[in-house]
Amino acid sequence: MAAFLDAKTNDRLTALGTPAAVGWSEDARLDAVTRLRTTGLPDRRDEYWKYTRPDAFTAPAATAAAAAEFEGFAGVDALTITFVDGVFDADASDDFALEGIEIERLATSDVDIHWAKDLYGVLETNGQTPVSRPLAALNTAYATDGLIIRVTGEVSKPISVVYLQKSDASDAILHHVVKVDAGASATILEAGPVAARANTVMEIDIADNATFNHLRLQGRDHEQATLTHTFTRLGNESAFKSFTLTANGTLTRNEAIIEMNGDDASAHVAGAALGDGGDFNHDDTVFVTHDALNGESRQVFKKVLRNGATGIFQGKILVKEGAQKTDGYQISQSLLLDDDAQFYAKPELEIYADDVACSHGSTTGAIDDHALYYLRSRGVPKAQAEDMLVLSFLAEAVDEIADEDLQDFILGKLETWLADR
Amino acid sequence: MLEIKNLHVQLEEEEKQILKGIDLKVETGKVHAIMGPNGSGKSTTSYVLSGRDGYEVTEGEAILDGQSILDLEPEERAAAGLFLAFQYPVEIPGVGNMTFLRTAVNAQRKARGQDELSAGDFLKEVRAKAKTLKIDADMLKRPVNVGFSGGEKKRNEILQMAMLEPKMCILDETDSGLDVDAMKLVAEGVNALRDGERSFLVITHYQRLLDYIKPDVVHILYDGRIVKTGGPELALEVEKNGYADIIAEVA
Amino acid sequence: MDDVQVKDGVDAETVEAVQSLSGTYKHGWETEIEMEYAPKGVNPDIVRLISEKNDEPEWMTEWRLAAFERWMQLKEPTWAMVDYPEIDFQDIFYYARPKSMEEKPKSLDEVDPKLLETYAKLGIPLKEQALLAGVEAPEEERKVAVDAVFDSVSLGTTFQDELKKAGVIFCSISEAIREHPELVRQYLGTVVPVSDNFYATLNSAVFSDGSFVYIPPNTKCPMELSTYFRINAENTGQFERTLIIADKGSYVSYLEGCTAPKRDTAQLHAAVVEIVILEDAEVKYSTVQNWFPGDEDGKGGIYNFVTKRADCRGDRAKVMWTQVETGSAVTWKYPSCILRGDDSQGEFYSIAIANNMQQADTGTKMIHLGKNTKSRIVSKGISAGKAQNTYRGQVTMHPKAKESRNYTQCDSLLIGDKCGAHTVPYIEVKNNSSRVEHEATTSKVDDDQLFYCRARGMDEEEAVALVVNGFCKEVLQALPMEFAMEAQALVAISLEGSVG
Repeated sequence: MAAFLDAKTNDRLTALGTPAAVGWSEDARLDAVTRLRTTGLPDRRDEYWKYTRPDAFTAPAATAAAAAEFEGFAGVDALTITFVDGVFDADASDDFALEGIEIERLATSDVDIHWAKDLYGVLETNGQTPVSRPLAALNTAYATDGLIIRVTGEVSKPISVVYLQKSDASDAILHHVVKVDAGASATILEAGPVAARANTVMEIDIADNATFNHLRLQGRDHEQATLTHTFTRLGNESAFKSFTLTANGTLTRNEAIIEMNGDDASAHVAGAALGDGGDFNHDDTVFVTHDALNGESRQVFKKVLRNGATGIFQGKILVKEGAQKTDGYQISQSLLLDDDAQFYAKPELEIYADDVACSHGSTTGAIDDHALYYLRSRGVPKAQAEDMLVLSFLAEAVDEIADEDLQDFILGKLETWLADR
Repeated sequence: MLEIKNLHVQLEEEEKQILKGIDLKVETGKVHAIMGPNGSGKSTTSYVLSGRDGYEVTEGEAILDGQSILDLEPEERAAAGLFLAFQYPVEIPGVGNMTFLRTAVNAQRKARGQDELSAGDFLKEVRAKAKTLKIDADMLKRPVNVGFSGGEKKRNEILQMAMLEPKMCILDETDSGLDVDAMKLVAEGVNALRDGERSFLVITHYQRLLDYIKPDVVHILYDGRIVKTGGPELALEVEKNGYADIIAEVA
Repeated sequence: MDDVQVKDGVDAETVEAVQSLSGTYKHGWETEIEMEYAPKGVNPDIVRLISEKNDEPEWMTEWRLAAFERWMQLKEPTWAMVDYPEIDFQDIFYYARPKSMEEKPKSLDEVDPKLLETYAKLGIPLKEQALLAGVEAPEEERKVAVDAVFDSVSLGTTFQDELKKAGVIFCSISEAIREHPELVRQYLGTVVPVSDNFYATLNSAVFSDGSFVYIPPNTKCPMELSTYFRINAENTGQFERTLIIADKGSYVSYLEGCTAPKRDTAQLHAAVVEIVILEDAEVKYSTVQNWFPGDEDGKGGIYNFVTKRADCRGDRAKVMWTQVETGSAVTWKYPSCILRGDDSQGEFYSIAIANNMQQADTGTKMIHLGKNTKSRIVSKGISAGKAQNTYRGQVTMHPKAKESRNYTQCDSLLIGDKCGAHTVPYIEVKNNSSRVEHEATTSKVDDDQLFYCRARGMDEEEAVALVVNGFCKEVLQALPMEFAMEAQALVAISLEGSVG
């Protein structure tokens, strides 16, 4: 379709050139370019980019961002795979050998027919309606690498994907595909700033009775512009949990698109964000579609903002006709630690089935004075008491992490971060 | 131990005078009780002494163990040895009771220049003290006051008091919302802390708590002033005749 | 029946009110009367014609023409979750007046009896002794002044003399433009600017009549004021304009009701209501919107595209919007509050019922600008049949609106598996001393409650109406007494055919 191409999209596409012809994913890539040409890249007038400027992601070149050290899931027993500036680093990665899981790289899986062909760019395409996500299509078209993971059984330890940034000008597009076979289960950890600018997609297909957990640590004091998308499809009686911890960083937008296609499925997405400084802009955009019976979904997002930091939450629960017995819950809360911090929320419900229980809540406000006074009256100094209340505030989100050890790990991380702020 | 002189307090938000000149002296090791009808200024007294926002001291002072406290931050007052058992203890989801207690104990030790308590020693002490207050391990693990019954909350306050070992304890309507059994348990916890050194200020509407925590001195607070002071018999008089007679007497 | 107890205490009175009802849309009849129309369509000549019919001064004509210019540049908004065939704005009559109104009657006694009968039949007797619909034998006589708007013109306003004694001005807007131009000029278009939105701009160009209220300083309006809008003529759009000014320290409660005949073709209603509230003044604005909703298949009905806004300009100003939206094929309506004065307060209570093929997209905006401002939103949406019902709202705390609060509760109820209920709130918080709380739930009618009612002998429809009334109780209680009764009854009627 030869639609009129706006200058911004044209510049970005010109800078990217023609997608590399890479075997089985080529059709999906070409299709994505076509879609992108039709929709164009987003701008501020887009309803779903009302509160976050997409410019950093749509510009032809990445804005430089200082490389920052980042300690991810150090100490957690896992199979580690490392990307530096979006490029696979074999030396810093373990062998891909682990029982119950098959791992390949997108860049090197060059067979003509691959199981991932049924997923690559497919879940992403599903996730384009009713809200178009051109930057995800851009990712499908131009991803340079990523992991193609098939979970066939119960995996004994998590896969830990470590992202390191070494170049101030790196610009990464990574695309992962995860297929969890019926009855299988796995946990994937992601940590670190991917690049000065990053656009990542993870497509996740969870078959009947399968379980998939996703845990992510994003940045600390980084300057990066990070855009992530997870597209998840759930089968019957399957379960998905995703949790993201973000501390500082300039611009982060995490989009989670979840399709509840099987009956009795459960999906929980949660996030905790700590933002400090006027550059901080953190955006969670979540879209859960219930298209099956007896589904359960939870969205729990908490943000702690200070010094001009901005937090954004856009979340939707869509219950399609016939998706009876749906239980949908969504909460978005912000703690504004000073008067310059800002929070924008658009929590939506769109419901076409009657036998459902869906609810959402959103609160914004300062720290509870009375609780602060209670803690201080017990001798806890003000700053420490505030930290405790921040932890208290974030607890509901951290609770969404499936594994208790990992929960403790995240809490520990939070405490350290708060303590040496 | 605690001396309150001519204390005048008004609300910050509206110019409403709540305390109109309180004078009170709690000697070391003694138990004083403040009784009074609703709205007499009982809770305001406890809040002002412990440093809650929203109140403005327009006149007077409060001296704890020789130190003027009204300009101190709440945590500094706590470190100086003041403890308030809240009428409505605050719930803090997501923060374990144990973590909370340890943070408080160590913060106070640090402020006093003492070493922090090791995890092991702390645990031993909490367990021992919790046991006497019939606080089980589960309550210690749960988030602070979340899902606690009224009695459990008050017992938890007394446990904090026992752990923090203050010099001056203020109990704000600790009996409210408790049945007799729960009240006895709380009173036992308080009495166990009476060692001849520690002082108490027990604020209550009803006399019944004073059956279990025997006061040395009883004050009647009315309209922001102490209108009568006497021995334990004064509490019994209130129990028998209500406040009306005393108020009429001073009016 | 006496011991029936349903959630939130629906009382026996409600049970009776609900039980006494039968039939469907009650106000679907037509008044046969000779009408005079402006030519179909809209253009500067039509705008001038409307202005001329109202004997307007030049400035008003210019104001309208400027609005028309602006309208030509605007596009119809598409963001609402409503779907209707494209409106041909040139295929509508913009002005329709009963022939008998050509000579302005000096008093209501001179109005064509047929028109007076119309209002009597609607339960709105235009005599200075009676009350609004549905209330018999009140404990003490309560007076309600009525401005009766029929298609494009106001027939007259009751109790004008008595109100005048209190200094209150209550008349049609056309009369106000002639008689009180200084007030109209000072305030018209200052709350809803001419260029506000597509429908408001169209209204600014072509509004034909509506009501005007001015309450002088430190005056409590001696009676409730109301306007009753009736669309009668076919293919005619009604564009009314209401302007209410509550001067310092004053108080008024204002009621609005509306109905239209049953017809196969849809009709447009695009009104603008502006309320200016000065220091320490308070306005209560209640609406029972019962426009013809269209038939079961979605044929006909009113397209109700309305802009309503209150500006709390002075410190401690208060406004309360209460709306019961049961009619209209399509509703697009967001009565809003600008909380400009320090300590000002805005409240929004809404019941929106959509049955059959009805579509409602309604809600509010609370714009907090002043310090220590408070707002409260309680929205109850009920969807039945194949209807779509959307709550759309915005709460904004500006940086200077320190120490402000908002509480929002949106509940949706679904009756049947072919309808939809949606919630689209926008929350924007730009300072940390304010607190914003938003809660929303969506569920179906509680089976236990239904069963309980039916076990006490109610049929399913009655039971549903009763339970729904309980669900709406908080909003119904916010209505003036006369309206509350009517609204309860309407809740039941609008849900006809929603079960079984």
